[in-house]
Amino acid sequence: MKVVNSEFLVKCKPLIGKLVSILSKNYEYVSVLGTDTKGKSFRVSKTGVEVNDSMLVERGFVVRIHNGVNYSEYSFNEISEDKLDSIIKNIKAKLNKVSKDISINSYEVIEEDEIKSTFLGEVKINPGEVGSDVVIKSLTEIKDAALAYSDLIVNVDVIYNTYHISKLFISNKKELEQSYVLGEGYIFSIARREEKTKYCYKSFSGIKGFEILDELKSEYKDVVDQSIRLLDAKAVEPGEYDVICDPDISGLIAHEAFGHGVEMDMFVKDRAKGVEFIGKQVASTLTTMHDGATAAKHMSSYLFDDEGTIGTDTVVIENGILKAGISDLLSAIKLGTTPTGNGKRQSFERKAYARMTNTFFEAGNNKFEDMLASIKHGYLLEGVSSGMEDPKNWGIQCIALLGREIKDGKLTGNLISPVVMTGFVPDLLNSISMVSEKVELSGAGYCGKGYKEFVKTSSGGPYIKAKVRLG
Amino acid sequence: MLEKIKQILIDNKKIDGYKIVENKVEANEIFFVKKNVDMDRSKDVHHFKVTIYKDIEEDGEKYKGSATTNIHPTMSNIEIEKSINDTLFAAQYAKNPYYPLVKRVPKYKTMEASEFSKESLPYWINEVTKAVYKNDNYEKGGINSCEIFLNKVYTHIVNSEGVDAESVYYDCMVEFITTWKEAGEEIELYKCLNFSELDSEGLSKEVENMIKICREKAIAKGTPILEKTSVLFTGEAVKDLFTFYYTKSNALAVYKNESTWKIGDKIQGEDVKGDLITMTIDPFMKNSTYSASFDEDGFPLEPVTILENGVLKRYIANNRHAHYLNIEPTGTIDNIVVCGGSRNIDDLKKEPQIETGAFSDFTVDCLTGDFCGEIRLAWYFDGMNTIPVTGGSISGNINELHNQMFLSKEIQKHNNFEGPEAVKLLNVTVAGIE
Repeated sequence: MKVVNSEFLVKCKPLIGKLVSILSKNYEYVSVLGTDTKGKSFRVSKTGVEVNDSMLVERGFVVRIHNGVNYSEYSFNEISEDKLDSIIKNIKAKLNKVSKDISINSYEVIEEDEIKSTFLGEVKINPGEVGSDVVIKSLTEIKDAALAYSDLIVNVDVIYNTYHISKLFISNKKELEQSYVLGEGYIFSIARREEKTKYCYKSFSGIKGFEILDELKSEYKDVVDQSIRLLDAKAVEPGEYDVICDPDISGLIAHEAFGHGVEMDMFVKDRAKGVEFIGKQVASTLTTMHDGATAAKHMSSYLFDDEGTIGTDTVVIENGILKAGISDLLSAIKLGTTPTGNGKRQSFERKAYARMTNTFFEAGNNKFEDMLASIKHGYLLEGVSSGMEDPKNWGIQCIALLGREIKDGKLTGNLISPVVMTGFVPDLLNSISMVSEKVELSGAGYCGKGYKEFVKTSSGGPYIKAKVRLG
Repeated sequence: MLEKIKQILIDNKKIDGYKIVENKVEANEIFFVKKNVDMDRSKDVHHFKVTIYKDIEEDGEKYKGSATTNIHPTMSNIEIEKSINDTLFAAQYAKNPYYPLVKRVPKYKTMEASEFSKESLPYWINEVTKAVYKNDNYEKGGINSCEIFLNKVYTHIVNSEGVDAESVYYDCMVEFITTWKEAGEEIELYKCLNFSELDSEGLSKEVENMIKICREKAIAKGTPILEKTSVLFTGEAVKDLFTFYYTKSNALAVYKNESTWKIGDKIQGEDVKGDLITMTIDPFMKNSTYSASFDEDGFPLEPVTILENGVLKRYIANNRHAHYLNIEPTGTIDNIVVCGGSRNIDDLKKEPQIETGAFSDFTVDCLTGDFCGEIRLAWYFDGMNTIPVTGGSISGNINELHNQMFLSKEIQKHNNFEGPEAVKLLNVTVAGIE
C-alpha cells in the first residue's frame, strides 16, 4: 500500500513558503527542510517489555541562508503564523555573529533548477495500523520460544523498530516532498556456562512494515544456537589469514574502507587520501562498489537528501579503479563537482554532512563452495560488531562477531570470537581474490561520522575472499 | 505547553500515573576548516517526553505497564490526545513487575551556576574558539578542522506523584582533528572534549598536546609482533575500561542477568596481585556535563561508593530497578570517580611494554569483558629504548586480566570521569605488524 504523507507538513507548506519568501528579501539563497518522523520501538525480554518512540522520531525545521559570504543555519520546532516574525528575528539576531577577528570561508550562492516532485513509498503491512498489543504478543512468542530452547540461555531480547519518515524541502525553486516507511528487528541472545558469558545477535531491516517479524520468527533458533556455540569459542592466534567475509562483513569493509573514505566533505578538509587516487587502482579488479539513494532499495533510499538534492547512484570503485566520491551540496560547490544527493542530517537539529546511503560491493562469479574449498587454513567471518574509518591514513578496524575455522577447504566447527580485523585499506581490497554471486544488504543500527551524527545507512555485498590480519 | 499536556493527562481517568520531561535547548555551533569558519548554526528547540503508567492486577499480582512518547510543540490538541491514548493503550500491554514512582521531593540541592550563564552563548563560543586555536602555531602540523557546540539546556521534570524538578546546565563539545607532516605522508588524529565550564588554559594545552601526539604518530614505526605483553593504557582508554565496572555494577544489568555480580563479591578475584579498585559515583562532580542534583525520574542524588578495595558495596540503581532488587536506589548518576593506585606512572613504565596513545576505536564489551582496538599510536619500550609505533591491535578480556591491574597514583579528569591517568594490565594480546 502507498504510504501517506505527513498531514502536519502538508498543512505547513504555505507557511514555509511564506517564510522562504520573506527571508529571500534579505538573503540570496534560502531553503527550509521540514521533518515529521513517527515510529515506535518495542523491546521484549525475559525481564520486561519496553515501548518508546523510535530514535528518529522528530518534528521540526532547519532554515539555511546564504549570509553574503557563506552559509548559516537555524533549527527550530515551533511554527505558526504568529511565530513567523520571531523566527525571522532570531535568524537575523543569532546567525553570522562570529567574531570579526576570525576569517571565514566563502561559498558561492547555490544555483538550483526548478523542480516540484513528491515520492510516497510502498509498504506491505503499515506498522501504524498494527496495534501495540499485537506487536508485543508477537515479540513475546518469539522470546518465549527462544528462552525455552536451552537452559544455557539467560536472556533474550527481541526488538522491533518502526520509522515513518516524512520530509518537505522548500526553496525559491524547489518544492519536494517524500514519505516512506522503514522497519528493523533484532534478536539478541545471551548464553552462559559457569563464569563464561557470550552473546549472538542477528538484525533484519529494509523498506518493510510489520511483515519483518516473520523474518525474526524464522531465524531465532539459529541465533540462540550460535550464542551457545560461542561459549566454546577460542581467541584467535594473531596473524594474517585467508578469510571469507559474509555479506555483512563485506558491507562493513565497503562502508569503512571506501564509504567514509570518499565522503567529499573530507576532500574539502584535506582529510581524505582518496582524493589523490581518483582514476587509480585501489582494489582488486574483481571489485566494483556503489553508493546511492537509488543504487538499491534499502534503508537509505529516498527521492531527495536533506539539502534538497535528488538522490543518485554513484559508482565509487569500478573494476578496482577509484572513480568518484559521494557529496553533499556545499562540498560540491567548493570542489566544483556535481552533488550526488548524499547530504544527510542526524535530525533537523544537526548540520548536513556528506554521508553514505546504500553502500555495497557488486556480485561476482564464484560459488561459495569453491571459495571455501580454496582455503587451506583460514576463517569465515560473520556478523558485525563495529567498525571505524580512517579516511586520511587508510587504516581500517572491523570487529566481527565470530569466525568459523576453515581447514583444508572445510568448516571444522571451531569458532573464534571476538575477531578484530585491522589493516591498510588498499592491501585488504587488493587481496580480494574471489567474489560470490549474490549481493545482500543490511541496515539495522546507525552510522556515525567519527563518534556522532548518527544516520541510517545500509551496506552489504556478496561473500568475498581476502587476506586480512586478525587479532 | 507543559500545563496543557499535564491537564490532558489528568483529565484521562484511565491513566494511573505520568511523567513529563521537558527540555528546552538553545545552542550555538561553529564549524571550522583549518582556522576559517565554514558554517555557523544556531537552534532553539523545545521537547516534551511523556511516560504513561498503567497499574494492572492479575491473579492477585500487581504489575505496572508503561510506554513513552514524544509530544511536539506543534501538535494540536487532537494530535496530543491521540498520541496519549495510543501510548496508554501500549502501556496496558507493556506489563512489568510493579514499582512505585518517585515521590515529591521538597527541595533538591542547588547546583552552582556555570560561568557560561554569565554571558551570552555567542560570547562564550568565541572564547572557546580563542582557547582552541591559541597554541595552533606549529609549522608542520596543527588543527585540520574543528567543530564547537555550545548548548544551554533547561530541564523540567514533573510526575503524577508531585515531583517538580528544574535545572539549567551548559554542555560544550569541541571535536577536532589534528594533523602533522614529516618526511612521509601527513597523518591525523581525532579528539573530542566535553565540559560544562571553560578552562581556557586547560583547553589550549589539550589541543597542543594532541598536535604533539600527532607529531609522534608521523614518525611512528610499525607495531612489533609481541603476542602477549604488558600494556599501559592512558587517556580515554582508561575511562573506557572503567565503564565495564560501572555497567556490571548497575542494577539493570543485574536484573537482566547480564551481570552476575553480587554485593560483597571480590570482583577482581581472591588472589589479587595488583591494585584493588575503589569506585564512587558523584552527581556533583565539577566541570562535568552529566552533573545534576536529580535524575530522569526526579530522584534526588548524592555521592555513593560502589566498589571499595575491589569489593562490590552497592549497585547503581534507578528507582525502578532498586525496587525490583529490593535495595536502596542511588538514582542514575553518570559521573565516575576511581581512586589512584599504589605506584606513580614512572614506576609503571619501568618494564618492557606498550603504552597506548590513540586507538581507532577502543571497544570494551561490558557483557563479556572483551576489549580491543586498532593502534593508531602507541609507544613501545623494549627495556632499553622507547619508540612510537602504529598499526596492529590490542585485545584481551578484563575478567581474565584484572587480578593483575595496576593503577597510577596520578589522576586524570575528563568530563564525567576522574581516575588514574594510566592503568597497566599484564599478558595482553598485541597483534603487531612487523
